[in-house]
Amino acid sequence: MNSPAVAAPRAGTTGWRAWATNNPKIRMFQTLVRREIWEHRSLWMAPLAVTALLLICALLTHGALKIDATDSSEWLDPQNKTIVFALAQWALTIPHYLVMILLLNFYLLDCLYAERKDRSILFWKSLPVTDGATVASKIFVSCVVLPLGTFALALVTDVLFTAIWNLRAAIGHAPELIVWDTVAFLKTQAVMFLGLVISVLWYAPFFGIFLLASAGLRRNVLMWVTVVPLLAAIGERIAFGTHWISSLIDYRWDGIWGSLHVETALLGSIRNVGLAEVVSIPAVYDRVHVGAAFTDIDLWLGIAFAAACAYAAARIRRYRDET
Amino acid sequence: MTKVIEARGLRKSYGRSTGHSTPALEDVSFSVAPGRIVGLIGPNGAGKTTALKAILGLTSFEGELRVLDLDPRSRRDELMRDVSFIADVAVLPGWLRVGQALELVAGVHTRFNRARAEQFLRRTDIRMRSRVRELSKGMVTQLHLALILSIDARLLVLDEPTLGLDLLYRRQFYDALLSDFFNEERTILVTTHQVEEVENLFTDVIFINHGRVVLDSSVEGLAERYVQLTVAPDKAAQARALQPFYEREVFGRVVMIFDRPANGRPADRGAADQPTPDAPPAFADLAALGEIRTPSIADLFVAKMEAA
Repeated sequence: MNSPAVAAPRAGTTGWRAWATNNPKIRMFQTLVRREIWEHRSLWMAPLAVTALLLICALLTHGALKIDATDSSEWLDPQNKTIVFALAQWALTIPHYLVMILLLNFYLLDCLYAERKDRSILFWKSLPVTDGATVASKIFVSCVVLPLGTFALALVTDVLFTAIWNLRAAIGHAPELIVWDTVAFLKTQAVMFLGLVISVLWYAPFFGIFLLASAGLRRNVLMWVTVVPLLAAIGERIAFGTHWISSLIDYRWDGIWGSLHVETALLGSIRNVGLAEVVSIPAVYDRVHVGAAFTDIDLWLGIAFAAACAYAAARIRRYRDET
Repeated sequence: MTKVIEARGLRKSYGRSTGHSTPALEDVSFSVAPGRIVGLIGPNGAGKTTALKAILGLTSFEGELRVLDLDPRSRRDELMRDVSFIADVAVLPGWLRVGQALELVAGVHTRFNRARAEQFLRRTDIRMRSRVRELSKGMVTQLHLALILSIDARLLVLDEPTLGLDLLYRRQFYDALLSDFFNEERTILVTTHQVEEVENLFTDVIFINHGRVVLDSSVEGLAERYVQLTVAPDKAAQARALQPFYEREVFGRVVMIFDRPANGRPADRGAADQPTPDAPPAFADLAALGEIRTPSIADLFVAKMEAA
């Protein structure tokens, strides 16, 4: 009776899985990540719902990719098909990324607050898990698992959507609008992956503040992180006539994209539709200056700030109970 | 290591930042030896939970505290490998499925015996697929207990573990604790205010009131030190001369509780070792006045709290 039982690796597990199972720290971290997936089911249910909706659209809609074209025949010109294909790939990912942004922010605001609200923090704290590991698991889920999962799912959705659309086109049910182009596909995915990585890193200060708010505030977490900065900016303007706060928020909102040197061509050109002005996403791939983004000191300062917030969140959780 | 818990001069106040400081612990000292079941007993707001939180490294405090030879402030993470606790019955998260709870504890605790927890659960009506929010309060306690008792811990801390449970579950809870967990190498620290029910469980009791320890004794020690006399009203004056520290009337008879110091004479408020010529008679005389017995822990608790 009462003999300690270290779980033996399951029969048949080999390689890194066996190593991970036998390494208590890795096993603990895996378990913490699984906990997040179990607790926050919307993290995987919402993206899957988006995929399902898009695939239903692929099966049922007609000519969904008509972009306010002045002359639709121009879009069907074989020379422009690469651009149309890349734009379709890009447009199809938008629902996924919008959902991801919502999930990521709400998850970060909730992840350390919910356990205090339902008092389960007292259960979690009875387990030999450090506050640092708990906070790290939440950062990992929000900044690695969720973005990578979204990227992979959006990619699969793109491929499936294109396949379904082309099958329908082959039997005459849909216009031959999206023609597969492997190079354009790879370049588009590369641009989106890069954009995703840079976004996660650039917006890290926001994530850090959300995590800190989740760890520290007693109630109304969402209100504090939205209304308070807004009031602070307005207050500064009225009291001092300056706008440092709003400039800082504005800069952290879109400051990185300039350093990538992709100009505003992409979004602007879609609005102006004329094909001559459209800069296709594969073209962005050819122009983008990745090095400029990663050597931007503000990117690293932001990451350092986010790391300080994460450290503070873990410290706050150290002596935090259900209050 | 001789003591599981060694506390000296623990102090803790709440509300310092607001300027209305309320002391929760004031110079609390006690120790707990291995293989004991200690009841930390006190009225609401006495400081029990604060003391437990200090022991579990869940709150800051002043003073000296060693738990399993570790300082819970600086080495909580190590401590939690050997300490289990149930802070409250209702703290398992509602979204958690029973099977997930087992996976979770098995994944983070190297000393968790999953087969044992499953064996516990087979004795109940709890299904692996159920979510905690779908279980009754009694079932949640059974689940929590199954998890905690399957951890090979050296110290188990229970804070009001049976609060709000019906008698049947309370009885099962303590039976499981004794038969499936406790042995001479393990120590259990329980806070409760349902003293009557668990007093047979304890080997030691610590009474705490207004943030101070008012009694710290083994249960055997209580029998040696305290005596309860039930006396007819006509002999009450004679008994009163022996200086009971507590007195009440029950069905026309007077019940008194006496604190018996080591020399066999009642406490003389600081001068017990040197009885004065008009000192009251020895305790042997008490039996002649009425019926004597060792007070129950519940009676002693009430007496100590009201005398304070």
